[in-house]
Parts: sequence; C-alpha cells; structure tokens
Amino acid sequence: MRSRLGYIGFAVLVAAVVVAPLVSTHYRTYQLAFVAIYLIALLGLNILTGFTGQISLGHGAFLGVGAYVTTILVVDHGWNDLLTLPVAGVVAGVAGLAFGLPATRFAGPYLALATFAIPLSFIGLLKRFPHFTGGTLGKQLPSVHSQFGIHANSSVWIYWVSWIVALVMFLLAFMLVRGRLGRALRSVRDSEIAATASGVSTAGVKTLAFGISAFFCGIAGGLFAIAVTYVNPDTFPIDLSILLLVGIVLGGAGSLSGMIFGALFVEFIRITWGPALLDLFSQVHHINTRAPGSSLVVYGVVLLLVLYIAPAGAAGLVRQLLTGKTAVAAWAKQGRTAAEDQA
Amino acid sequence: MQQFFQALFSGLADGSIYASLALALVLIYKATEVINFAQGEMAMFTTYIAYALLTHPHFGHTFSYWPAFFLTLVIAFVFGVGLQRIVIKPLERASVLTVVMATIALLVILNGLAAWIWSPELKFFPSPFPTSTWVIGGVHISKQDTGTFGVTIACVVVLWLFFRFTKLGLAMRAGAVNPVAARLLGVRTSWLLALGWGFAAVLGAVSGMMSAPTNFLSPSMMQAVLIFAFAGAILGGLESPVGAVAGGLGLGVLLSMLGTYVHPVTPELRLPVALLILLVVLLIRPAGLFGRVVVRRV
Amino acid sequence: MKRTFLLLAAALIASAAVVMTAGATSQATPGVTAKSILLEGTFPLSGPASGYAPIPAGMKAYFDYVNSKGGVNGRKINFKYDDDGYNPANTVQITHKYVEQDHAFALVGGLGTEPQTAVRQYLNDNKVPQLFVSTGATTFDRDWGVYPWTIGWQPDYEAEGAIYGKYIVKNFPTAKLGVLYQNDDYGNDYLRGLKAGLTQQHQTQIVLAAPYDLSSSPPTAQVAALKASGADTFVIFATPTPTIQSYVIATKLGWTPAHVITNSVSATDAFLTIATKSGSTITNGTLTVSYLLDPSNPIYNKQAGMKLYRQIMAKFDPKGNANDGLNLYGVAKAWTAVKVLQAAGKNLTRAGLMKAARNMTFTAKLKNANPFALPGVDIHTKGGYQYPISQVTLVQYNNNVFQPLGKLINGRGA
Repeated sequence: MRSRLGYIGFAVLVAAVVVAPLVSTHYRTYQLAFVAIYLIALLGLNILTGFTGQISLGHGAFLGVGAYVTTILVVDHGWNDLLTLPVAGVVAGVAGLAFGLPATRFAGPYLALATFAIPLSFIGLLKRFPHFTGGTLGKQLPSVHSQFGIHANSSVWIYWVSWIVALVMFLLAFMLVRGRLGRALRSVRDSEIAATASGVSTAGVKTLAFGISAFFCGIAGGLFAIAVTYVNPDTFPIDLSILLLVGIVLGGAGSLSGMIFGALFVEFIRITWGPALLDLFSQVHHINTRAPGSSLVVYGVVLLLVLYIAPAGAAGLVRQLLTGKTAVAAWAKQGRTAAEDQA
Repeated sequence: MQQFFQALFSGLADGSIYASLALALVLIYKATEVINFAQGEMAMFTTYIAYALLTHPHFGHTFSYWPAFFLTLVIAFVFGVGLQRIVIKPLERASVLTVVMATIALLVILNGLAAWIWSPELKFFPSPFPTSTWVIGGVHISKQDTGTFGVTIACVVVLWLFFRFTKLGLAMRAGAVNPVAARLLGVRTSWLLALGWGFAAVLGAVSGMMSAPTNFLSPSMMQAVLIFAFAGAILGGLESPVGAVAGGLGLGVLLSMLGTYVHPVTPELRLPVALLILLVVLLIRPAGLFGRVVVRRV
Repeated sequence: MKRTFLLLAAALIASAAVVMTAGATSQATPGVTAKSILLEGTFPLSGPASGYAPIPAGMKAYFDYVNSKGGVNGRKINFKYDDDGYNPANTVQITHKYVEQDHAFALVGGLGTEPQTAVRQYLNDNKVPQLFVSTGATTFDRDWGVYPWTIGWQPDYEAEGAIYGKYIVKNFPTAKLGVLYQNDDYGNDYLRGLKAGLTQQHQTQIVLAAPYDLSSSPPTAQVAALKASGADTFVIFATPTPTIQSYVIATKLGWTPAHVITNSVSATDAFLTIATKSGSTITNGTLTVSYLLDPSNPIYNKQAGMKLYRQIMAKFDPKGNANDGLNLYGVAKAWTAVKVLQAAGKNLTRAGLMKAARNMTFTAKLKNANPFALPGVDIHTKGGYQYPISQVTLVQYNNNVFQPLGKLINGRGA
C-alpha cells in the first residue's frame, strides 16, 4: 500500500472487528459472522464482475459447492471443519475454472445468461446423487462449538473464525488486484481489443478470474455450512446468486472495501431491516404486513431506492464526496472506474 | 409418424410461448443493451390483471375472455411504458450492471406484489380454446395447442407489420440502430425506449395468458418460461427479432422431440438440456444462430 | 487511498450502528412475563411454498380469540411469525433471533421438513420447545428420544400411506396400483407407508411405482408409463402442481382408472377444482384422507367446532378466506398449543411445557377432544408413543365435497 492512510484504514477495520463482539449481543455477533462470510464471497465475485467486467448470475452455486465439500468431509469423513476450508475453496475454484474455460467465448449478456445455468445445474446435480449429497433432505453438520481448548460462546467462536478468514482473504484479494494480474483484469474489462493488443490473453485472464472468484466463494461456502449447520438444495437457490450480485452493486463494483457495505446489506436486509421496515409500516398504515410476498416487496423497493441514491454503490458515493462533484456529474460518469480502482 | 406430428405440434405451441417472451427480451435488448430480467414477472403480473378482469366485476360488469384479453394488452402496454419511464429512465446514465440490478429489483417487487395482492396459491386461468382434440390421419392435434400457437404468432406478426410499415415503427428501428443519428433527424429517442418497453410488455402478457391455462396461475409461473425464453433468444441471437422467434419455436420443438424420442431425456431434464443446447450453440456460434458478430474497432 | 480509508471508516460507523441495536434483556423464564407469553414460528411467506401462509394467520386468529377471553392463566399470548422463504439458511438465522434476541418461550408450528430439520439440533441444544411443527415428516414424531424438545402434530406421511394400504387391502384386494411418487423424502415417506400398509402378501398389487423429480415440467412420461402398465388404480403422492397436472395428463391420454387415491396435501377442493376446470374427467371419485373439519363441506356446518371456527375467522381474520382449510388447520393447531400451555400451569417453564406436550390426552372419551378435528379424532401422547394425531377418515371427492367413507382409521395401530 502506497499511502499510510490505507494502512490506517485497514487497522481501523481490524479494530472494529475486535471490538464488535464485545459490545454486541450474541445474536448480533452471529449475524456479523455471516457478514464476514458474505464479504469473502463478494470479494471473489467482485474480482470477476467489478475488476474483469464479467457479470455472473451463478456464483451462489460455487458457495454451494464449497458448503457441500465441507459438509461431506466433516459429516462423512470426520474431518475437522476448519481444515476443510482450503479443500472447499480449491474444489470450487476448479469448478470455476472448468466453467470459465468454455465460457470465455461468450460476451457480456450471453455470459450472464450462461452463468444462470450454473445454479440450476448445481441443484439438479445435488438431487441426482442423493447417496452422496443427501438429496432434498441434505445433511446436518454438528452444532457450532469452539475448539482447540478455547471456551467461547458458539456465536463468538464462529464470528472470530469467519472474520480471521475474511481479513486474510481481504489481504489476498488486495494483493491480487494490486499487481500485474489486477492490471490485466482491468484491461480486459475496459477494452478487450486494447488488452489483446498489449499482449494480454483475454481468454486466459477471464478464465483465471472465474477460478479465483469461485475459490473465494468456495471458502465462504465452507464457512457458511459450518455456521448454518445444515445444507440442502433449497439452501442455495438462484436468489443467493442474485443477492451476491446485489452486494457487489451496492458496495460498488471495482472497490474491495466497498464490499463491506455490500456484505452488511446482504446479511441484514432480509432478516433484520426488511421485517423492521414492515413492522414500522404496519403501525402507520394498518395493512397486513405478514401477508405473503410483503417481505419481497420491501426488499425490492429498498434495493431500487439505494440504486437511485447510489448507482455506483457505496464506493461511488464516497468517490463523489472526495472529488467534490455534484450528483449530476457523478451520474453522468460510467459506473466503472479506471485509475481510481483500488482496495 | 403420428408421434412425430404430435410432438411437433405440442413443441410449436410451447415454442410460441417462449418465442413471444424471447421477442420481448430482444426488443428491449436491441434498444437499450439491457437484459430485462423482470420480463417474466411483468408477464405474470399482467396475467393476474387479466385474471382480475375475468373474475371480479368492474364497473358493474364482468368481462368475458376476449374483451379481457385485449383490455389486458392495453393495460400491459401502459404498464410497460410506465415502468420504463418511472423505474428505468432515472438510471439511464448508470452502468449496465446497475440497470441490470434495477430490472432484478423490479422482478422481486412484482413477484412479491402479485402474492400480496392476489395471494400465492394456485389459481385456474381459462383458455379460450376447448381442451378437445382434432384427429387428422390418426394424429391427435390439441385445439388448445393450435390456438396458443395461432394467437402468439398473430401477435408477433402484427408487431412485425407495425415495425415494417408504420412511421413510428421505422422511427423505433432507427432509434435502435443509431440513436444519435435518429435524434439528429428529430426522432424523440427517449420516448421510443418507453414504447419498446410497452410493446415488450404486450408480448409478455400474451405469453403469460397463453401459458397460464396449463401452468396454472401463481406468482412463480413464468420463471421457467423466462429461462426457456432466454435460451431461445440467445439461440437466435440477442440482436435479431427473427432469431428470437425462430429460436423460441425451435427450442420448443427440439425439446418436444427429444422428450418423445430420446428416452433418457425425462421431463425434469428439459431445463438442463435446454441450457446444454444453449451452451453448445454458443460455443459454435457465440453470437447465436442469427446474430452478427460485432467487430469493434480500436 | 483516501477512498479506502473513508469507506472503511464509514463501514465501521455503519457496523457500530447495526451492532448497538441490541435485543431484549433476558428474563427468568424466557418469553414469559406476568402478563404475556411470547410464541414465535417461521413460515414460508414468499416463494413457491408461500401457499401455506393461511396457517400462521389461522393460528394468530385463534390466539387472538383466546386473548379476548382472558388468555392462558392470566397471560396473553403474543404470537409472532416471520418469512423464511422455505430456505433453511434463513430459518436458522431467524430461529437464532427468536431464541437469543427475542427470547421466545417456545417455537410453535414452524413449517417445512427441511427448514425445521435445520434448526432441530440447535433448538434441542438450547432446550427450546420446537412444538407442533407443520410437516408430516415422520422423523419429528418418531425420533423424540434423540430430540426431546421436538414434537410434530399432524398424522405423519408414512401413517397416511399405510392407511391407504390398509384400505386397499380391505376394499380392493385385487386392484393393480400405479403409483406416481415425488422422488424426495416427502414422496418416499408416503410410498414406504403404502407398502407397509399393504403388508407382505399384497406388495405385488403395486404394478409400477414411477418416481418424479419436482421440476418445472409436468410428469407426462410417468403418467403414460403408469397407464401402459395396466394399472387400474392411480395413486398420487406428489405436491399440488404435479398432482393437478397428473389428473389432466391422464385424461388427455385417455386413462380412466377405476380408483384415484391422492395424498391429502394435494387433494383439496381448490386444487381438484383446478384439475377439473383444466379438463380432467377423473377428479370425481378421488379418495383421500381427512382428520380435520372441512370448511368447504356443508355437512359439517352444524358442528360446534365449525361454528366457532367461522366466528373466530369473522372476528379476528375477516380478510382471510374462511373456506380455506389451511386456516382451520392453523386454528386447530393453536387450540392444541393453548391446551398444553394451560396444562403446564401458572408457573410456566419450557420443561413443563414439553412435559405437557408429551402427555396429552384430548380424546372423545374424555369429552375434551379438539373441536376442530373430525368427531372421534383423538390427540394423545404418552410414554413411548409420541404421534399426537394418527387417526383419519377416508373421504371421497364428488362435486366439490368430500364425503366421509366409513369409520376413522388409525394409521399407527389397529
């Protein structure tokens, strides 16, 4: 990192991570563990979507791959749950590479639609091999419990495990996008012709981006399985892939630190903020806010409002602040950035 | 031989439903380079509006099928225009990803709203065609399938005629091909986008109302159809309206044939097989069967 | 770099805001105050399973009714429920919220085999009652030894399948059965029960059992295969959409089986009417089972329970559709919850509640049976027998009404 401010920023983040469990309830801490898990997935997906410019509607499936790898190793083969994480990441990463190889031939919207096929196929595969995957009933993992002689509340334990992994992955992502690979990724996003002319193998870069992003999602998936203690096909629907994309957009595609906002939104909108908004609304208007579909309407409306206020995500808002431009000028700019891309 | 024609007809009927929605997707994509992920839910929502017209008296009068059908098309048009103006237009300067996200938000809202207003349990939606069959030369041809095909293709043809032979249609085509030049010539391109959404909504409504009798009316009824429509649109090439229709019809027939003649292809494999076909076609022709590969100059 | 710093700092502030909104303080017995009892449950209020939404609405209506009469031992019941979209990951998080933030006294009526399985271990670890789950998966009743804090309510799927088997052996011992079953635990539970009910001697009555994977496509090939097998009895163990489609496909293929037996979840007037309107000619005559009063059948209008049900719906859930049996299901379940709350006494503890749930005797003989169930249906649990309801009656569908055929049959016993 070139500037000291960057170091300070990261230190602030670490400090926040340390302090949070001390001032929150166990339940909030449990939720913040999920924020870390989503953060890892978003960092990965951002490498593909924000930095390489490829929209993927299928990364929830790579999360699922990692989750099932962890589950099968823990439940059927007695592995220690934390040790399974690298395996989960690698298996998912390989799956990502396997998809990426042919997929690099597709451009923009064709790729997005092709990635739609991944979660659907994944769910189909899960159901087709029930002996291996547990079929529709899935598999149950052991309850979250602290290990290595440490006695901690299970929520605090999973919080720490998830955040330590998340911070490590954050640094990893940072290093990846900082160097040559990052420049190659961005060059493919900004102009494939120019990239090729400069000697960048665009197909290779895109494939690699798929693999790396899947690897991140796989690790997030392993942690997800450990935290939820249950996996089955319903746990990884298309909604999950869409939710990850929402996190990217709201955090700011192309910004790694923006992903923290993305992760906060993804975790809290369905479980906490949405129902809270509904309760608020019901007091004012006396309409049935427990009616089917109401939670979706709130989620969608909030999403739209955030898009209007911050079309380039949290990172975009901050950029506006820094460069002092007015809202109109900021909206006139494309959502992608060039030189301002950073962690 | 009988089996062949039966599979062909039922494939064409399914295919026409996909073709209609695929054409809607291509209409919007051609004009705005955005894939409207909410197309299926818009179709579902307008079908619920038709349901409301058919089952509840409005202005002291219950509509019978065809009046409700055409009134729904009008409402769908206004609905489409409205959505473009109110929801999508404010984001026209934002990145593609953001606009895609807005269509996804719309998808979520419409899905939830339909369940909230009409409640999510399965409902019956009538078909204007009888459920009996004609028997020609030993082949059972479903009247409903024929009617579905007829209505959908008629709508597509009417739309084609509009684009080909009216000034407004010409203006829309110009606006899609070269917005800057069109604007220079006095075409109000911004409103053309709205009209494009309007027509797309109409096509979606037709697709929805034709598929509801067999898929039953529920908030999630168009989700699978949307995926098949995507596949059909991509098969034909996202820039080509003819391709979208051909792709949709072709996909329907192909799946029907596979289901009839290739026994391992059981019904639940239809979707994965469609996606596999899609991937294979894209590998050979990355811009779809009818698409043009765009060569960008540096 | 400035941007990174600002973003991270802003994220810190946002997290702090999120973190500071803490939950309620804990009480002596969680969820119980001098004046109220907090009960919560997760239900799918969005997504493809959201058709079950009338269940919690019915439960709430009944609890409101009981509150209007003074509540239970002087306490009002506060029943809250949330949408988990049938996604077990959501169920887990919301359930953690119920236990650790809201400090609910008990979870009641949670819906879905997989969602409730996902939280079963957690609830048992934390000794929180998982009461009367809304699913017929046999494990919730059968495995009480491993999960002492979990109990089901409705007749389980295996028992229902067994009842069909017994009925077939008694009434059509030479019928040829063609079974369409959903290829998951739901369908397999039913099939296993059917085979058990048929007993060893009659296994061969099943000429073909065709599995069907729940998907977006109708089970056309399976129905065709069942017709081709020469079966004269069509048995359908699937969720509503493929069930309706099966009726329509069978008619299109020209198959008119002598008997049609359909699982109770899918054999409701609403669904069968859709089948008929869509062209099926074999809906009339469908056999299924029933254990609760049927609000769409006029023969029950004079029952005290039905009158009470309609009053409750009119007053406490006027927007609900009182003819929808799912509301009555919710009311009947809530009745049971109130009964065990009363039995647990003024000094409410979670252990006391489970003890009451494991020793229920609400029977016709004692004149304290569930008024919303069919006359004669008992709810009883004791010792090693923990299947609250297992009696049903066979009913036959004709012109929008289910006519009871004969006496109650017990799926888990003689």
